[in-house]
Amino acid sequence: MSKLVLKNVARRYGTVEAVADFSLELVPGEFVSLLGPSGCGKTTTLRMIAGFVPPSAGTIEMDGRQISSPSSVVPPEKRRMSMIFQSYAIWPNMTVGENVGFGLQVRKLSRAEIDRKVDAILDVVQMRNLKGRYPAELSGGQQQRVALARAIVVEPEVLLLDEPLSNLDANLREEMRFEIRRLHDEFKITTVYVTHDQSEAMVTSDRIVVMNHGRIEQIDAPHKLYARPKSRFVAGFIGRTNFLEGTRQGSDVRFDGFSAAASRLEGSDGTALLYSLRPQAIGLSTQKPNGSSLAVEAEIAGRSYLGEYWDYQARPLGGTRSVRVSTGPGAVFEVGSRVWLEIDPAAMVRVE
Amino acid sequence: MKGLAGLAPIASLVAVLAFAPVAHADVKALEEGAKKEGELTWYVAHYTSEGAEDLGRGFTEMYGVKVNVVRTTAQVAYQRLLQDLKNNQTICDVFSSTDVGHYVRLAAEGRFEKYVPETEGKILPTFRNFDPAGFYHTTSAGLVVLTYNSTKVKAEEAPKKWQDLLDIKWKGKVSTGHPGFSGYVGTWVLTMKNLYGWGYFDKLEKNKPQIGRSINDTVTALNAGERQVAAGADGSTLFSASRGNPLAVAYPTDGSVLIIAPSAIMKGTKHPNAARLFMEYLYSIEAAKINAKHFAIPLRPEVPSPPGAKPISEIKTIRPTVADIDKGIPEVIEQWRDTFGN
Amino acid sequence: MTIAAPAVATSDVSRRSISFDSTWLIWIAIMAVLLFLVVSPFIYLVVTSFTAEKTGAFTFANYAAAYGRARYVDALMNSLKLGGAAAALAGLFAIPLAWAVARTDMPGRGLTRMLVLATFITPPYTGAVAWILLAGPNAGWLNRFFMLVTGAEAGPFNIYSFPGLALVIALYSFPYIFIFTSAALELVSSEMEDAANILGAGAWRTMRRVTLPLALPAILGGLIICFLEAIALFGSPAMIAIPARFNVVTTQLFQFFGNPVRVEVAAAYAMPLLGVTILLILIQRLMTRRKGFVALTGKGGERRAIRLGPWRWAMFGYAMLVASLAVFLPYLFLIQAAFAKAWGRGFGLENISLRNFHFVLFEHATAAKSVLNSFLYAGVSATAVVILTLGVAYIVTRRLVPFGGILGFLCIAPFVIPGVVLAIGFYAAYAPPPLALYGTALILVLAFTTRFLPIGYVNASAAIRALNPEMEEAVRVLGGSRLTALRRVVAPLLKRSLLGAWLLIFIPATRELSAAIFLYGPNTKVASVMIFDMSEEGNFEYLAALALILQVLTLPLLWIGQKALGRDFMLRRNAT
Repeated sequence: MSKLVLKNVARRYGTVEAVADFSLELVPGEFVSLLGPSGCGKTTTLRMIAGFVPPSAGTIEMDGRQISSPSSVVPPEKRRMSMIFQSYAIWPNMTVGENVGFGLQVRKLSRAEIDRKVDAILDVVQMRNLKGRYPAELSGGQQQRVALARAIVVEPEVLLLDEPLSNLDANLREEMRFEIRRLHDEFKITTVYVTHDQSEAMVTSDRIVVMNHGRIEQIDAPHKLYARPKSRFVAGFIGRTNFLEGTRQGSDVRFDGFSAAASRLEGSDGTALLYSLRPQAIGLSTQKPNGSSLAVEAEIAGRSYLGEYWDYQARPLGGTRSVRVSTGPGAVFEVGSRVWLEIDPAAMVRVE
Repeated sequence: MKGLAGLAPIASLVAVLAFAPVAHADVKALEEGAKKEGELTWYVAHYTSEGAEDLGRGFTEMYGVKVNVVRTTAQVAYQRLLQDLKNNQTICDVFSSTDVGHYVRLAAEGRFEKYVPETEGKILPTFRNFDPAGFYHTTSAGLVVLTYNSTKVKAEEAPKKWQDLLDIKWKGKVSTGHPGFSGYVGTWVLTMKNLYGWGYFDKLEKNKPQIGRSINDTVTALNAGERQVAAGADGSTLFSASRGNPLAVAYPTDGSVLIIAPSAIMKGTKHPNAARLFMEYLYSIEAAKINAKHFAIPLRPEVPSPPGAKPISEIKTIRPTVADIDKGIPEVIEQWRDTFGN
Repeated sequence: MTIAAPAVATSDVSRRSISFDSTWLIWIAIMAVLLFLVVSPFIYLVVTSFTAEKTGAFTFANYAAAYGRARYVDALMNSLKLGGAAAALAGLFAIPLAWAVARTDMPGRGLTRMLVLATFITPPYTGAVAWILLAGPNAGWLNRFFMLVTGAEAGPFNIYSFPGLALVIALYSFPYIFIFTSAALELVSSEMEDAANILGAGAWRTMRRVTLPLALPAILGGLIICFLEAIALFGSPAMIAIPARFNVVTTQLFQFFGNPVRVEVAAAYAMPLLGVTILLILIQRLMTRRKGFVALTGKGGERRAIRLGPWRWAMFGYAMLVASLAVFLPYLFLIQAAFAKAWGRGFGLENISLRNFHFVLFEHATAAKSVLNSFLYAGVSATAVVILTLGVAYIVTRRLVPFGGILGFLCIAPFVIPGVVLAIGFYAAYAPPPLALYGTALILVLAFTTRFLPIGYVNASAAIRALNPEMEEAVRVLGGSRLTALRRVVAPLLKRSLLGAWLLIFIPATRELSAAIFLYGPNTKVASVMIFDMSEEGNFEYLAALALILQVLTLPLLWIGQKALGRDFMLRRNAT
């Protein structure tokens, strides 16, 4: 039975459609990210799930019960969810302990019970010794942990996170996204996570919902999203890619600088075709590869060294534009030298 | 017959000389000088604002000299003047207060310029020669009397003597000014103390009077119907009545308090000609007419008392001595503050 | 391989040393001005309080005289009680209204804001006059209405009483608390409230445990300002307390300036006011220090109004009640009095006349001029404050001089000095020779300037801090001097904020009484003093006319302010 179901949810502001025709089902314990550039409607969707914003159309159900519709909305305080905000929203007039215990107080637990649970969760986030501090006395990362503790201790039905890591510096961000996933695994809470950072989404999520201009582009597990993007947008948003335009000519598809047999390419019927090919999926060598993959001779037009890998631009000899190729740090090719590209047609994904 | 006919031109000459306005050479010279000076500052407590403004305007119309009328209650005027003096500033040219004690003290400190107006001989004899040394001269006279709102209080029920104000039936219905501000009120309080002892005010306090600042506060309190009886000034009360307000005056049988208020020229005045001319003006018929219009006692016999006001000869008046006022008013101010709390 | 030294090295160094000197010069110049305006009067005040009048020797006698008499000590106690009562009452008016306007769906929120603004621009002494008309024990309109309706002998309302005075003061200072509270409530980040909601807290619990505590420092600040206003007011206590027969510190100070003038005793008497003010401000600082309430960022999503259901009409009724007490009733009867021959005679056609306006504008020698004086002095002071504080704020924010904090502190310091006390300090320092500013317009302008320095500084420094310094640096990198950057980048960007600050100072300055009453001379009377003087003879008809003229003349300024800065520019704490 699904935990959370959104059916054709839409939200309009005047003539602007912030969210359109959004449908999603979450199984209990699932970790789903809403991923997209700013303005794509992910935060609005999250706030509709939370109950802060009513939908203009469509419904939201939790455990089979309808909680949001254009005509009626169960208020946030009655949804038994938790939320972590971009600014953490830790109340400065209360100590860490009081912040974390707030939700338990509302649920009318006994003093002793509250203390026990608060202490336990603070142990989990390693903040126990700061229980009596005020938020003004904490660092950003510590405040983040308090927000997490506060949200989890009430054992919510659904946990919502709105870009919680964007105020942290890069190192802390990496640490914290593991932390978030760890907590999720420990407590198995159904989680919806909003972010614009695809690496965050990839690390933490079971599934990712990629959104653009208020609409869903694709819903899939991270590796599927990466390997088999359905649209140009998704292909370009998740990781780097090469967009190859091809025209069908008889049994071949001709690209800029090479061609491939239509039978080896997926979805090759149609005339104007667009394919996405990851830089890592292209082999680069000085020898002509012999295998079933396509071998295309090219010239190195440019290169950048990034420590962990080389980023090459290689222009096929018969073509005008370069493709991007990533190799390990040891594969060094000079600009202007001749190389062989090894392309597996099966790795070329047809996108819209 | 020839002798009598010869008398005729002489008689007509005498007639002209006796009744024509005397174009005194001095006044003409003053006028010239005053016009050059252009303006005059007058600290005045004698009249209502309107009365003071009226007088100032009259002077300007006659001589083209601007008058800065600074109308306040007497104690405030005195306070202003003292501050000016303390800071070595001569801003005031003519000082007209209703507390005679001010003049005693200021004259003793040599703050006035001696000037006897030419026209002094023309005013009513009662008011002449107030200060033999000639530093300050009476320019206004008025009475503190019993006043009441005639729609709320019938003439028979109105208080007849000062003691009547203490009657319990007037509790919460009495209005007065404050001796700490008004010279008229200060003099009245002193007179009551002399007549009846301070017990008068202990009893008056029990009637919970409304205490304003100026004695003219009583006029507005009665007009508004806020209070019904008051110790008020005849001039301002009758003037307001003449405008259609429901006010009436009862001259107390135990004596109306006569206030004689002088004016003086400040020593070192920046506008000596204008100041002197102004003193002359205050004794003029024009000024007396304006005074009469405001129901103040006109100082010139040529100008009749306004209708509705009793001529002063018919009123029983009481008046403390100058020395008494000088010492007494500061004392009663303190006593008043202690009794009335403020 | 040698690297050639940059060619501009030496001239660069010399230019830097020149600017180093001129920086110090500027610091000294501003320091001198601030010393003159702020420090010197304060020092004179303290010194004068210990100086014997005739001999000039050091003495405690002034303090003995000031507090030796029971009546004087009573006055001080009365002031403190009055302050507390007025602040409490003002809070009662303001806090529910501020909450209703900022956070609920009460109908007429915009109307309520406008009415609070109308209250804000009404000088307290005008309000006092109106309330005398309304609640004079026998003739007041409310009492008459009561007697009419119930047939009673007398009405229950008596404005000439301690509660009456507290009411009048509260009615015209509650806008401060309203402004502070509603601004704080709006600035509380809605994420703070959302966080509580999602954890299960409903609207009321959230308000109680999150919003109000976060807004508390601002509310406290507003209450304190009310208290300080109340103890430093002169006009309304003079008009009401004197007939009510009790004394407060300001009226007592006025007496010390009476006959004879005892500046020394006045100075000694005024010190506790100063002490109380400083103490209150310290208390407020201490109470909010540890918790760091700066998390007021006012960002985030739609703010959801609390739905009051049928209670919204009750709330609206309360808002209209307060508005009636502060605006509708007073102005109605002020207008009646201004157009009446004798106000007590009621609304009949025969009682209507334009005479009062005619008298005030054309016949009274100084009334019309006093209005001009008010506007002139206020304008000059406002301009001086804006320029001076802009300079100081710029220097302090951009850290152009060491110890800039001292300059900033001096600009804010006058905040703790009540207007009357400031005036006495100025009187003691500058009225007598050598400067002999007694009775001049200059001493009034200087006092006003000092009084409004804090407002100007807070506005200017907020505005400059909102500017990115990189914009000026861009000018300097391209070769412009700092002055050029100021002139062509900073000042134009701050135009609106400066105008807002100017108006925020100008409008209160035109109605300032407490400071003016001690410093004016016969030629420099301002409208507020004129109105006070007119109340001396109980001439409420003229008074009402003059007061209305003053109010009407202020309206165009408000209009300009709103056009330039948005709908409620005076209800914002910082005009950025």
